[in-house]
Amino acid sequence: MAKALADVPPKGGFSFDLCRRNDMLVKKGIQLPGFRKTGTTIVGLIFEDGVILGADTRATEGPIVADKNCEKIHYMAPNIYCCGAGTAADTEAVTDMVSSQLQLHRYATGRESRVVTTLTLLKSHLFSYQGYVSAALVLGGVDVTGPHLHTVYPHGSTDTLPFATMGSGSLAAMAVFESKYKEGLSREEGIQLVSEAICSGIFNDLGSGSNVDVCVITKGKTDYLRNHQLPNPRTYVSSRGYSFAKGHTEVLSTKIIPLKAKPEVAVVDAMEE
Amino acid sequence: MSIFEYNGSALVAMVGKNCFAIASDRRLGVQLQTIATDFRRIYKIHDKLYIGLSGLATDAQTLYQRLVFRHKLYQLREERDMKPETFASLVSALLYEKRFGPYFCQPVIAGLGDDNKPFICTMDSIGAKELAKDFVVAGTASESLYGACESMYKPDMEPEELFETISQALLASVDRDCLSGWGGHVLLVTPTEVQEKALKGRMD
Amino acid sequence: MECIFGLVGDGFALIAADSSAVHSILVHKSNEDKVLVLDSHKLLGVSGEAGDRVQFIEYIQKNVHLYQFRNGIPLNTAAAANFTRGELATALRKNPYFVNILLAGYDKGIGPSLYYIDYIATLHKIDKGAFGYGSYFSLAMMDRYFRSGMSLEEAIDLVDKCIMEIRSRLFVAPPNFVIKIVDQNGAREYAWRESISSD
Repeated sequence: MAKALADVPPKGGFSFDLCRRNDMLVKKGIQLPGFRKTGTTIVGLIFEDGVILGADTRATEGPIVADKNCEKIHYMAPNIYCCGAGTAADTEAVTDMVSSQLQLHRYATGRESRVVTTLTLLKSHLFSYQGYVSAALVLGGVDVTGPHLHTVYPHGSTDTLPFATMGSGSLAAMAVFESKYKEGLSREEGIQLVSEAICSGIFNDLGSGSNVDVCVITKGKTDYLRNHQLPNPRTYVSSRGYSFAKGHTEVLSTKIIPLKAKPEVAVVDAMEE
Repeated sequence: MSIFEYNGSALVAMVGKNCFAIASDRRLGVQLQTIATDFRRIYKIHDKLYIGLSGLATDAQTLYQRLVFRHKLYQLREERDMKPETFASLVSALLYEKRFGPYFCQPVIAGLGDDNKPFICTMDSIGAKELAKDFVVAGTASESLYGACESMYKPDMEPEELFETISQALLASVDRDCLSGWGGHVLLVTPTEVQEKALKGRMD
Repeated sequence: MECIFGLVGDGFALIAADSSAVHSILVHKSNEDKVLVLDSHKLLGVSGEAGDRVQFIEYIQKNVHLYQFRNGIPLNTAAAANFTRGELATALRKNPYFVNILLAGYDKGIGPSLYYIDYIATLHKIDKGAFGYGSYFSLAMMDRYFRSGMSLEEAIDLVDKCIMEIRSRLFVAPPNFVIKIVDQNGAREYAWRESISSD
């Protein structure tokens, strides 16, 4: 029983108990695996009424495209979103963790979350892991103090910028921003510029691809435009696809297990007399 | 040699119309030596939820035991089965906990949700979830499985056609992978029944 | 070098193992028994690092006995195999034992069974299996000649074929082998196959 209890972690945090075994395997000449990365283009800019974030939707594992339409713009708070690049598990975990801390903070204070709070939580977590939690982020949001845009590096350093790009496609996207960004862009111009920057990553960086996700955050309103542009639709599927005749595959044995319908539990109204 | 290639594996899950199928190969090897050809990598969590664990077999077994333990605790506390989405988050959390000393397993999760909506998902060995609407693959044959599934898959297949498609995709793919194959297991899950089939495959 | 293999026949399971204790180029001993009689109806064939081997199998044996004393019934073979795997897997994350195990047993109502557990704690129920350099030959022989439901005579004949193949094809072949079987009458030593005297 003591063993069973020990199996459930009493609190959060990493567990290092496989490290030694894995070291042993490395010494035996076994290669450690790569993790899923978001070889990525993520961008953000400030326009006249708020912040626009953008991301491509390709996830890679080495040279393989693991996911053709993943989501890289993560929810932090209703007024704050965050684009993630780097190791997929890390960006996912770090944004989830901070967004739950923010939610708890909102419950405690009853106020809207601020972007700087989010930024501090993110950078202090990343700094404490010395860059080993490899998440590169573009954080954007609008709070009582106005629109904010930040970049966060895996080691925990941050920048505050009017326009920002991150990920393997950052150079391609930044080229677009540097030539076309100006202050006081309208909403339409902003979305257009962000899409153009992401497309520049999609088409010029091999680690980025597929579709354009955009998130527009203004005072009191957030529009998540999932798959705002689909510049790479599938074209090579024949209308019927492959079809196989029934019984085409050679089967050695078949076991059929019928499933019983779950008994309906009558909901008894507690107030009923 | 990558640690994922130690035992060899091929795993795939596909979504059909109100149903799903999950399939794996049957080989257990130690590098190029075959130990058994009746190995199972797909484990049942409950009637409508299955997990396939590719990668290092010992870690798959350990991870499965931990997952069953956690799922049973959940059943006792909540008096219901886990939803596939919830279970995926549990797997992801267990894997990410070992971010810096991972289990060498890449899971494939497939289940039917509350309203019998199919759910499939895969992860890397540190729990980065990848939700897909069509198919997911894992294991040493994953590259060829990507190709086969990408061309053979059609949306909204009926159970019979889904079975043929997933079986052909699996058998075609393991033929291009030395470390997996030697037959296959397919589980076809509909709201009313589960069909478990053993496939005949090449034995070379 | 180490050779250990086992198979399941009609109403019995057997394990054969070499009996050499080797350190670098030197043979220290040629009558080292590597097949432990775990309890009345179980055999544990172990290959691997000498110290780890003794340490680990004694630990397993004593715990299996403890279970029997406490509960009045022995663990069945599947339970013993899972227990062994569990302990190996736990140790693997702290202080690994380099041991490869074949566990054979006979249970009333179930019959004979054989389990494969390698040093990284992969568990699988098998009909025939082998570890070590000898496995390249013994597995090949068993793939060719094994069929389910072999009689004891046929099985021993197959074991002798395996030993013969190892002796004639393996450069570093060990001289002596021990064969143990387990059936409804219990686990016991069956025979030795010695090419040099171990006295």
